[in-house]
Amino acid sequence: MEHVRKVFKFISSMKTGLVVLVLIGLVSAIGSAVFPRTFFETLFFKLLLLLLLLNMFLCTVNRIRLTVRSLLAGPGRKVWYRNWGILLLHLGIVFILLGGMMYSAYGQNNRIHLAAGERVNMQRVLDIEHSFTLQLNEFRIEFNEDGSPSQYVSEVTILEEGQKVKQVAISVNHPLNYKGVKAYQYSFGFMINAEYVAEDGEEKSGSFVEGALLQPGGTERKVKIFKYIPNFNPAHGMNTVTLRPDNPRIIFSVYEGDKFLGVGAAAFNEPVEIDENVNVTFTGVEPYTVLEVKHDPGLPLVLAGGITLMLGVCLALLTAPGRKSNNDHR
Amino acid sequence: MGNIMTVIIYGVLFSYLLAGILYLGGNLKSKASFFKYALVLAVVGCVLHFALLVMRTLLTGMLPLTNGSEFLLTFAWVTVLIYLILSYRYEIQAAGGVVMLLSALMVFVLIALTGGSLHAVAPLMPALKSPWLTVHVITAAVAYSAFTVAAGLAVIQFFPVGHGIKEHHMNLLVKCGFALLSLSIVLGAIWAEQAWGRYWSWDPKETWALITWLIYAVYLHLYRNREWRGNNARWMVIIGFLLVMFTFFGVNYLLPGLHSYA
Ligand code: HEM
Repeated sequence: MEHVRKVFKFISSMKTGLVVLVLIGLVSAIGSAVFPRTFFETLFFKLLLLLLLLNMFLCTVNRIRLTVRSLLAGPGRKVWYRNWGILLLHLGIVFILLGGMMYSAYGQNNRIHLAAGERVNMQRVLDIEHSFTLQLNEFRIEFNEDGSPSQYVSEVTILEEGQKVKQVAISVNHPLNYKGVKAYQYSFGFMINAEYVAEDGEEKSGSFVEGALLQPGGTERKVKIFKYIPNFNPAHGMNTVTLRPDNPRIIFSVYEGDKFLGVGAAAFNEPVEIDENVNVTFTGVEPYTVLEVKHDPGLPLVLAGGITLMLGVCLALLTAPGRKSNNDHR
Repeated sequence: MGNIMTVIIYGVLFSYLLAGILYLGGNLKSKASFFKYALVLAVVGCVLHFALLVMRTLLTGMLPLTNGSEFLLTFAWVTVLIYLILSYRYEIQAAGGVVMLLSALMVFVLIALTGGSLHAVAPLMPALKSPWLTVHVITAAVAYSAFTVAAGLAVIQFFPVGHGIKEHHMNLLVKCGFALLSLSIVLGAIWAEQAWGRYWSWDPKETWALITWLIYAVYLHLYRNREWRGNNARWMVIIGFLLVMFTFFGVNYLLPGLHSYA
């Protein structure tokens, strides 16, 4: 029993806590310089965080007794604020660490690509209990006067069992939050519409990803769709001047077998002659959105922890007595 | 307005530089008149500096906190402001030289980075349009400033002229800085969650802000302990300040990441 007490005392002591804090600081500094990203995923680092959690949890529990006692004893108001502040601030950190652990254990992330009219059942991308479907109605980019993007917006409809539930706009800084699933405007891209006569003589029109290879009929030549450039200027090469489609072009290249024949920048609806009497026409682009979807059961706890921490730190430090009172040493 | 702003920023730089030199001179010769002139220059610089911030705000229609240069401009101003307010109430003039020279250095770096041109206006990218981001950056700027002044007090306390400075005042600044840095980190995490879907991703800026936060936390815990006061506490405050500098300059200008929006 005496041993258990000693171990408990050691793990919950402030000295141990401070050593762990310093250790975390040191290894984070080295980790971020030497192995950016990967270091913070390692078991070693996670164990350190777990140790901090354990230590802070125990010392916070100890602190609750102390704080309640000070509440009953009724010392000066400033000491009262300070004790509650210190308690809340440590409790907040404990919540954040717990919430973060819940994310490591049960959190899920995925990315979905949707063009206008497409839909996805959320249970297909996240392992969640509640089923619902997201349908993209429109993806658009809004622009500033100088042609730089001011906002990326995905207009979506949420459906449950085929019924429309509601319509929302997901944009940067305005994620969707629905039944424990959050969806963020993450990225976007363009499918390129092209028309040509295929090998079987059929008039073909379709949407293609950048990098797609077209095989028109009546020639050995192939067309590679390289890139969509919304505002083309030869002086900028393959980079668009702005994202706004002021001068849209499709960059394509032509091959015969493995042999590269040339590269061009085609305007929309302007037939491009690939070979004698063989044309490909790029008719436009179709934007698609990329949404990051996330299910994080720890998020409410982390948020509560953040708020508790902010509240605690303000109470403890900004209302503290002018001089340190030495009577609350522990 | 561009030309006027360039002139003003050089005016600010020279006021701070001269104020710093006079403060140091006052320390060496212990002449009260030096301190008086230094104070006048610091106030003049601070007022000019404020005018610059107002002009920048009128120019862009946003608080001057939307990129690295604007942040530096605000950070340097708040540093001087905190020093002036504190020196009005407490005996801390001995640290005036260090604080004013640090502020002058920040203004100098700003001029070096931007070529003195403060009139460039670019619209905000969508990710930066968030009220969370605004409070995140304001709290960070004031926290950094408080840590800078605290470091000024710490440095001068190593010298005989600084012995009149009360350790308690340095502690007060660290406490305020720590509280604000805590708010800043949490608010930044809330913003990151809204904008990118992750409240913490161990990007270099986040990691180094956390390390900075931790050293001041260790300082605050140890401060209860008598044997950790004095020089040990001062060293921690100075190292904390160097970490603040690295978190800002090192990460913004040396390492890539989400935060390098400068
Ligand atoms: C690692 C385990 C930790 C332990 C065991 C611990 C323990 C304590 C204790 C017992 C106090 C009371 C001090 C007093 O009564 O004067 C305290 C104060 C405080 N703690 Fe912690 N703490 C830990 C971690 C942290 C962390 C991670 C932070 C923030 C980064 C933090 C921030 C503070 C602050 C700001 C105070 C008030 C200091 C003051 O006003 O003097 N603590 N801590």
